[in-house]
Amino acid sequence: MSDHILTQVRRLLMRAVSTVDDPALTLALERLDEPLRVAIAGKVKAGKSTLLNAMVGEELAPTDAGECTRLVTWYRDGQRYEALLHLEDGNVEPRPFDRVQGALRITLGRPAKDVDHIEVRVPSRRLRTSTLIDTPGIGSISADVSLRTMTFLEAAQDRAAQADAVIYLLRHMHSGDVRFLEAFHGDDIVQGSPVNTVGVLSRADEIGSCRPDSMETAARVAARYQSDERMRRLCPVVVPVAGLLAVAGATLREDEYRTLAAVAAAPTEDAIDLMLTADRFGSPDATVKVPVAARRAVLARLGLFGVRHSVQLIRGKQAPNAQALAAALTAHSGLDRLNEVLTAQFVSRGQVLKARSALSTLDLVVRSGKYGALTELVSWAEEIRSAAHEFVEVRLLHLLRSGRIPGKAEHLADLERLLGGSGAEHSARLGLPPDAHPHRLADAAREAIARCNRLAEHPLSQRELRNAARAAVRSCEAIVIALRY
Amino acid sequence: MTDPSSPAQQRAGRSAAVARAVLDLAEARRLSGQAGRIDLMTRIDEATARLGSDDVPVAVVGEFKQGKSTLVNALLRTEVCPVDSDIVTAVPTVVRWGKPPSVTARLENDDEVAVPFKRLHDYVAERTGDEVPVRAVEVRLDRQLLRGGLSFVDTPGVGGLDSAHGNLTLGALTLARAALFVTDAAQELAGPELEFLNKTAARCEHVIIVVTKTDLYPEWRRIVRLNQTHLAQAGLQVPMVPVSSFLRLRAAARNSDALNAESGFPRLLTMLRRDILAEADTLAARAAGQEVAFVLSQLREQVGAARAAGHDPRTGWAIADQVAEKSRRSQALAASGAGWQTVLNDGIQDLSADIDHDLRERLRGLLRRGEALLDEDDPKNNWRDFSAWVTREATSAAVDNLFQLVQRTEELARDVAERFDLDYEGLDVDLPAPELVLARIHGLDAKFDRPSMQQFLNAFTAARMTFGGLVMFGAFGSLLGLTLAAPIGLAVGLVVGRKLVGTERQRQAEYRRNQAKAELRRYIDEVAFVVGKDCRDAVRRTQRFLRDEFAARAQQVERSANLTIAAIREAAEAPEHERRQRTAVLDQQWQELDRFAAQMAARPERRSA
Repeated sequence: MSDHILTQVRRLLMRAVSTVDDPALTLALERLDEPLRVAIAGKVKAGKSTLLNAMVGEELAPTDAGECTRLVTWYRDGQRYEALLHLEDGNVEPRPFDRVQGALRITLGRPAKDVDHIEVRVPSRRLRTSTLIDTPGIGSISADVSLRTMTFLEAAQDRAAQADAVIYLLRHMHSGDVRFLEAFHGDDIVQGSPVNTVGVLSRADEIGSCRPDSMETAARVAARYQSDERMRRLCPVVVPVAGLLAVAGATLREDEYRTLAAVAAAPTEDAIDLMLTADRFGSPDATVKVPVAARRAVLARLGLFGVRHSVQLIRGKQAPNAQALAAALTAHSGLDRLNEVLTAQFVSRGQVLKARSALSTLDLVVRSGKYGALTELVSWAEEIRSAAHEFVEVRLLHLLRSGRIPGKAEHLADLERLLGGSGAEHSARLGLPPDAHPHRLADAAREAIARCNRLAEHPLSQRELRNAARAAVRSCEAIVIALRY
Repeated sequence: MTDPSSPAQQRAGRSAAVARAVLDLAEARRLSGQAGRIDLMTRIDEATARLGSDDVPVAVVGEFKQGKSTLVNALLRTEVCPVDSDIVTAVPTVVRWGKPPSVTARLENDDEVAVPFKRLHDYVAERTGDEVPVRAVEVRLDRQLLRGGLSFVDTPGVGGLDSAHGNLTLGALTLARAALFVTDAAQELAGPELEFLNKTAARCEHVIIVVTKTDLYPEWRRIVRLNQTHLAQAGLQVPMVPVSSFLRLRAAARNSDALNAESGFPRLLTMLRRDILAEADTLAARAAGQEVAFVLSQLREQVGAARAAGHDPRTGWAIADQVAEKSRRSQALAASGAGWQTVLNDGIQDLSADIDHDLRERLRGLLRRGEALLDEDDPKNNWRDFSAWVTREATSAAVDNLFQLVQRTEELARDVAERFDLDYEGLDVDLPAPELVLARIHGLDAKFDRPSMQQFLNAFTAARMTFGGLVMFGAFGSLLGLTLAAPIGLAVGLVVGRKLVGTERQRQAEYRRNQAKAELRRYIDEVAFVVGKDCRDAVRRTQRFLRDEFAARAQQVERSANLTIAAIREAAEAPEHERRQRTAVLDQQWQELDRFAAQMAARPERRSA
């Protein structure tokens, strides 16, 4: 069914391209066959580049203690390593680059203001399903912007955006913060709405001051965010991720493991003393017999929490070798959970998101008024929008999550799940484990149909709720049909 | 909130300058007793009490979760301020010296409740229940640093620096002697932080940036350097101290000097003691010195005249005439028509009107901008952000208004003091009495004789915390309690939803907008009421303070004159031998006064004054 919608949209776009000659449409058409574009956005120093490196599994984006990323950079799957500058005037030129400890250093050869964005091609399996876009941090924003944030986010649902989905990085913040919502305010390439956004509580290891239970504390904070009503309107899921741990998990080297193991082998008192502060760990006159350069290198890579956690794992015999440690670090970093959420939220709905982006581009072209009314294209697009159940689902999810549908909380949560809010898979919709037997799924779907029908026909249900319930019935019927098939 | 009952204990930890000032005050008190001036003794007692009990408040400010409470804990080597990875300090906590240790919570309804230490956490953290909200918490501890006279105000990190709470923090800064701006070593200073620093530096004389959590970040030295660059670019000259509260607390637990040195705290403590506390002490000592000077000048005039009359009764009568004239004139100084009184009364009226106008102007501007914002969009889309914006702007207006009030009252105090000086000097100007002038010149520092306005201004600045503190921790806090109610139309709009026809939808939006505007006006009215009342109270307190202060002075001047006349009469009418005896005593007193005056004139803080 999903292929169907993409085909429909493709056909519409082909027609559009042959009717009007607009480069935006050509690009939109090409984009339908590309991987999903996921932008990583957030405020300055939120750890966007670090997360990107963790997700690609390679230290590609340069990271630094100071503000670092200044240009939008796309990371795409390619045959070989390549860096292309996309200039403001539309030209594309390849640029030479070198790699400093893995991180790409690209010589621009021109003022940064002439560059629209950089495209980096990397042969990577992980980039095949989605293209990742690293963005410069959002700085401080004025009060008026804050006031318009909601308005802006509302509008974003039908505006064309360069990215299909957004990962928002948040630092630990107070929910009463005036700038709380501004953390979501992107620039023109990243516009999120609750259907295509996942929140990441970044630098999670630092929230609990690098104490052993830091990740648990971070999970508590993330849960609090997730229960915040305003937050739900923007991104319904918030996952804590310790970026440094995740990168280390993906790229841990044997020599780093040896350094950590040597620290772990030191007498307890010495090791504790060494790991007391970052300064001590990198100090040349420590009692532990590990070269200072090696210590500083692992500290820069893992951070103090990463070092402490690794040493603890090695001492506890839970990480007998580099692979085991890398796996343990990845597991603790929260990256696995993020990947799960991304799969549920984006990948399974990737085609809908892409189709949605393409239709938005078409809207924009029509609205620009350059080519007349284009009535035929408009009504065709409208037809696809209203007929495709996927779109209905997405729109209802948006309404549900932004609190626009009145009803009891339990009913709304049920509807949200059935409409694919926790993932578009059958099991996710029905709240069953992924390996549930088809019979069980079908039974659950039938029950859900009955439940939603009651809701849809209940005389006291508001009309919006009835609509949502009817749509959920349709979603469940689709499941039943698919299972029988 | 100060406790004048234990000045002697508190003094023990304070600097040499204050200790000396205490001795000086005691000496002046003894001399006043000798001359039979109980009124001046009372005056000295009050000054002594003030000297001992005034805190030097240091506000600890900064963004949410930067380690403000931990910093206060580490400074005092205690765990008294609750620290949690997620929950934040929501109520200002004042930590000052006290014995035995105690915790008091001041509630929204002005009740004060004693709180067990174990339960402090519940009072300081955000409360969601329906108990009476807490306005401020006061913790008293017996710590060397506090005994020295410093007190710390741990400010809430709720809501960010540019929120309503952040604005109130700025209000507190107007009243604090110094501010510690806390930012952690995880990242360089952000835009809002720099902006807040700018405002802080404008309101507070001493600002120190404390970069915390250096134990966690290998790159903290770079962050400090980056921050320095940012400060230089912003044109701010503020010292920066990197510290690790974790190490300091560990050092305290293990009693390790090396760890303490590593924590970076010794430098911060030196700055607090040397720059902030020592300066405050010098100011306090100077104010005490000037108090002594005033008393001394009154005593010298009285004893000098009586002594001159004792040596030569004929001169005595001539002096008596002049002093009688002076007494008449000083009656005028105390009377309501005196020049300084006019300046005070006119000044207060102007000030009151201007501050009121200023507030109105600010709130009117806010109303206009708010209405414009409501016109731009349907309130249902942005109500929450809108109400956050309104409360922030309203507190900002109130705090700016308070700042203006503090500045203006200080100006007025200066004007009144200046005028009083003029009036006071005018008492002697056209008196044709060379002998008296002679007596005055005899070893007397001219500056010394003036009831210097500086003296008074120091006392006034010290009292600022008392005025403003009431405003800050008192009714002013209730601003946060005022809320905007969401327009009822919001709910209606939700229910009827999207399928409405265009005109109906517009009509509903218009309805919501009007409701929102009415609510905005009601809210602003209420803010105007609360803040206006606070400001009027503060103005009234200022007026009373100034009037009482100068009236007391005028009375003391008059009393000096009357006593002088009485002394001269007595001396002139007494039998010869008795007069000689009396004169010998007066000579003795005069010498003591002279010696003391010379001593005082040689004080370093007087030279710098």
